[in-house]
Amino acid sequence: MPHRLEITLKSDLLDAEGKGICNKAASYFDIKIDDIRTVHVITMDVDLSADQLQTVRTEIFTNPVTQISSYDPLSLAFDWCIWVGYRPGVKDNPGSTAVEAIEDVLNIRLAPGEDVYTSRRFCLSGDHLNRSDAEMVADELLSNDIIQQVRVFAKEEWDQNVGIGYIIPKVKLDHTPTVSTIPMDSDAALMQVSDERNLALNENDVPVIRSYFNNPEVRSQRKHIGLTQPTDVELEYISQARSDHCNHNTFRGVFTYTDFETGKTETVDNLFKTYIEAPTLFLKEKKDWVISVLWDNAGVGRFDENHYYVITGETHNSPSNMEAYGGAITGIVGVYRDPLGTGLGSKLVMGSYGFCVGDRDYSGDLKPRLHPRRLLDGVIEGVRDGGNKSGIPTGFGQVTFHPGYMGKCLVFVTALGIMPALAAGKPSELKTTSPGELIVMCGGRVGKDGIHGVTASSETFSAHTPAGHVQIGDPYTQKKMHDFLLEARDEGLIPHITDNGGGGLSSSIGESAMMSNGCEVYLEKVPLKYDGLDQWEIWVSESQERMTVSVKPENIDRFMALSAKHAVESTVIGKYTDSGKLHISYNGETCAYVNMDLLKSGFPEWEFEAQWYPPQQRGLYEPVIAEPKNFNAVLLDLLVRPNICSKQWITRQYDHEVQGGSVIKPLVGKDRDVYSDATVIRPVLSSSKGLVFSQALLPMYSAIDAYHMTTCTIDEAIRRMVAVGGNPDHIGGVDNFCWPSIQYDPDKNPDGRFKAAQLVRSCRALYDMCMAYGIPLLSGKDSMYVDGHLPGKYGESHKVSALETMQFSTVGVTDNIEKCVTMDVKSAGDLVYILGETRNELGGSEYYDLFGCIGKNVPQVFTEKFIPTYNALFSAIGKGLVASAHGIYRGGLGIHLSMIAMGGNLGLDIDLACVPAGDILRNDTLLFSESAGRFLVTVAPQLRDKFEEICADISCACIGSVTPSSTLAIRDAQGNPLISVAVADLKAAWKKPFGTLV
Amino acid sequence: MTTLKIKALVLTGYGLNCDIETAYALELAGAIADRVHINAIIDGSVSLDDYKILVFGGGFSWGDDHGAGVIQAVRMKHNIGSRLTRFVENGNLVIGICNGFQTIVNLGLLPGFDNDYQNRSVALTYNDCGNFRDDWVTLAINSDSPCVFTKNLTTIELPVRHGEGKFVADEKIISRLIDNQQVACQYAIPDGTPADKKFPYNPNGSMLDIAGICDPSGRVFGLMPHPEAFNHFTNHPDWSCLKEKIKRGELDAESLPVTGIRIFENAVNFISSSSG
Repeated sequence: MPHRLEITLKSDLLDAEGKGICNKAASYFDIKIDDIRTVHVITMDVDLSADQLQTVRTEIFTNPVTQISSYDPLSLAFDWCIWVGYRPGVKDNPGSTAVEAIEDVLNIRLAPGEDVYTSRRFCLSGDHLNRSDAEMVADELLSNDIIQQVRVFAKEEWDQNVGIGYIIPKVKLDHTPTVSTIPMDSDAALMQVSDERNLALNENDVPVIRSYFNNPEVRSQRKHIGLTQPTDVELEYISQARSDHCNHNTFRGVFTYTDFETGKTETVDNLFKTYIEAPTLFLKEKKDWVISVLWDNAGVGRFDENHYYVITGETHNSPSNMEAYGGAITGIVGVYRDPLGTGLGSKLVMGSYGFCVGDRDYSGDLKPRLHPRRLLDGVIEGVRDGGNKSGIPTGFGQVTFHPGYMGKCLVFVTALGIMPALAAGKPSELKTTSPGELIVMCGGRVGKDGIHGVTASSETFSAHTPAGHVQIGDPYTQKKMHDFLLEARDEGLIPHITDNGGGGLSSSIGESAMMSNGCEVYLEKVPLKYDGLDQWEIWVSESQERMTVSVKPENIDRFMALSAKHAVESTVIGKYTDSGKLHISYNGETCAYVNMDLLKSGFPEWEFEAQWYPPQQRGLYEPVIAEPKNFNAVLLDLLVRPNICSKQWITRQYDHEVQGGSVIKPLVGKDRDVYSDATVIRPVLSSSKGLVFSQALLPMYSAIDAYHMTTCTIDEAIRRMVAVGGNPDHIGGVDNFCWPSIQYDPDKNPDGRFKAAQLVRSCRALYDMCMAYGIPLLSGKDSMYVDGHLPGKYGESHKVSALETMQFSTVGVTDNIEKCVTMDVKSAGDLVYILGETRNELGGSEYYDLFGCIGKNVPQVFTEKFIPTYNALFSAIGKGLVASAHGIYRGGLGIHLSMIAMGGNLGLDIDLACVPAGDILRNDTLLFSESAGRFLVTVAPQLRDKFEEICADISCACIGSVTPSSTLAIRDAQGNPLISVAVADLKAAWKKPFGTLV
Repeated sequence: MTTLKIKALVLTGYGLNCDIETAYALELAGAIADRVHINAIIDGSVSLDDYKILVFGGGFSWGDDHGAGVIQAVRMKHNIGSRLTRFVENGNLVIGICNGFQTIVNLGLLPGFDNDYQNRSVALTYNDCGNFRDDWVTLAINSDSPCVFTKNLTTIELPVRHGEGKFVADEKIISRLIDNQQVACQYAIPDGTPADKKFPYNPNGSMLDIAGICDPSGRVFGLMPHPEAFNHFTNHPDWSCLKEKIKRGELDAESLPVTGIRIFENAVNFISSSSG
């Protein structure tokens, strides 16, 4: 007999959550709700006595000061009541901690099958509300049918004695695990099975797979251990390993690239090797701070003689697009396992986010699964809970709005860690598995989670089928595991560690067993969330919060004791061997027996046609716009644009102070409300060295040329670091490509060849920039297929593809954090300098976009000119000559003069005539061109000569001064007043769009 | 005896996460700080008797599900409740920071009226703003408070990072806290005058702008802001601006903001003098 406890705040206390929902309902849907009271429901499917029920009610689940509770439905007045609970199999984190607490307080252990489930009901007041209002709130604000179930009760439908009833979202599979063999009489037959079973085998791989299993020697070996046809476990293993996600077939593909400007056709074999691996290997030799790249879960650089930093970046787009909160929290918590699984394991010290979504106020005819506004709310909250509850500062982030992301949103998550150079006396960047070592799975349990990623999302739901394909990350479980594994590392118990992400055990064991050249895995030992999983499901499940660790037999007792102390579940599930075989069994029966070298045996490369048409051939041109007369208005209208305006409400939800090492925070300035160029942290508290980190994202330029999108993105990320005092000689890079599908199809992807050419060009730009600036790529990932098919007004659907997008992250080390500078102007009377030249480069700019134009003159990067500028600024900051420094980014000079003025709450007096700009005379070009390579720097008058001396050989001009007037005053090329706006008005405009959000 | 280093215990495990910087802050203050897993105290492998200062630090114990600090309090009360009260009664110091503050009010270590360290009569609940918030706040210190940790402070700036920091209790309890001078610090506007519930100076809507309280003896202290996160000049949001002022002779390096280390120094000094 289950028990249902309802808990709510005492009526005299403000229900902040309820108030928040009221506000959203009003502003999103114009539904006015007088009041909402939230009721937390805990359904205990546990055999408990009356006394035990009272104990858990009073001691755990009810705060005597703030809450009331009852095992009968609480009688709260409402006009509509909405109940929201999870579907079976969805991770219910509060449910799990409730079990822990109940077992602790009652000193009992729940029996198999017993469990605790949490849900909520919302009591809406407002006698004018009708059912469609209530259902709108239920479906569009409170629940997502992929992971949740909902009931809506009208006042008169509610039975106070019954309440919501007893809803137990328990997974019941009633299925006996079975291994099935796959007939492969012909390529076609195997391909058909692949489609039926969602194996997603590439048809070019099928002959290779068949010839392997038909090989006489292989057959006789298999016969020997009782196998004939390939099993589903084996094909799942091959399919996972060969997937684009794990094997990066696109980046390793062969591109036939035709440039219709030059008419030349050439072949690029393997973008990864040519444009990413090659420069990184070359630079590794030149930069002694590069410790480990290109093979592990993340890249490693030197922080100081005793510490290494670790960095990687990921995306979690498709799941976030389906379930924003769950996808995003799974993404951030997931990327945090990469540094933890790098080398012998590193401590997480910082995270960052990048969100790309459609127009937040979209009101057109397309119907995305989640409206961009709701999607953004969800991913913000997901990264908030994932980061904050992990105790890792979220030090940096960016948001980009563009209609192209309506088809699929982008959620970038980046993670930085720190590890000692030596762990228990061993080099921490090295790791390997050896025959005889035990394979231990630590952390969470295995369910049907994430099997075949989101391809499973087309499944229809029954009352008890697990909705596992969309997951909800569990930072609590992972934080316990993180602390445990670092302690085990320091005791020298971990020769090898890696995380379970895409592909689950199939990837983590499959890859780590390559080092010892074999493994035996006993699938029946893998702890499950519920019975009834097939062997192949256990093998490929992507259930979160799991690491795979190798442990020497003589250390296993100590390892398990530490695991128990930290309340982390660890299980020996097999051992590494040197048999040359991946050998998987279940209760003694072999279900997979594959040569470790199969994956290296000549699988065909993917092939792509790439066709480049330069902008002029695509009919792009510079728009014919005469100079505006009212520049005050233009400036203010640019400041309120979504991609320029303040998004402070996001930043403040993220803990960027935890770990006690913040130096330059995401928000700086007099009112602590303007964005810093980069983030600096002190990851080793006793050291005065700092880790400098920044990111850039400029997809708009891809509308003209992805080559220049890439160069400008990288240049911005570099300038952001240099602006705070980062050293141009130590810049590590992380590339995250997010591209629409590039495989040409006359009907489904008619412009695939062009998008493929954009990818080739982008990779070339990446190579050129890395070589010119000396940036080894410490890590990187690619996520293809950023397209969506959205239903339209008439029952038709539209393919919406994202702009070709690359996020670039830069990381470096500063020797003395106290030399760092921030972007806000500091003192009236200081001189304002501009470094770098302004060119006629309005193509793809925010200014053109204001008029709905793209243009053609996309900004370009001239590294030979820029590098001396960056070195000069670095040395000026190092000598303490710079009061503030800020790069000129999206929006151009006008916007970024506004930023530094708002930062210091001081005025500026600026002469456009002094801006080095070749023969440009137009004020709009001077003010809004987005030319790369530029900075705004302020200098105390008495330091003028010293500063100008350092900048003697670069483009550097004093364009005015900081004034106490707190007005931004700009004179045009002829010296006439052009702009005069109070800094307070600039800030009011800049904060207007999202200023009321908290 | 004062030459003997004072030992402080910083709790870890189950989702707590400020232990490293808190231990660092205590060492800057002159203590020896050990980070100890909650289970190591429960199983007896570490004894509270070896320590003079016990820190319930920040974090998300048990994910803060079912109320921040609730399950941590339940676990500790049921396993080492008597050892905790004995630790307090023996004249030692306890500080609860953020999640630790939430935990010790749920344990009943605060407010500790009439030497009753079990009674749960105040709470920290959801911020009025409805969300987790990271920001720096100004605290006005009550100089008449017996609080050991805030001695000789008038105001201090510290970061807050929480979603459940709104201090609530019924009027009788509140007035008793005031009468006993147990309200050790309150949210204030930058000039030190009361925030009077004004957001964001009072970031969570706490009654009477209460940011931290102590027990009647002043030896048990809990607060929402994070003193350990202001352990270096460069943690302060204005440091780059202050650095410029110093460079220009507009500010002398002595008059920089007091860091959170002072709060831990007060604790260490109290123990040294009382044991000295």
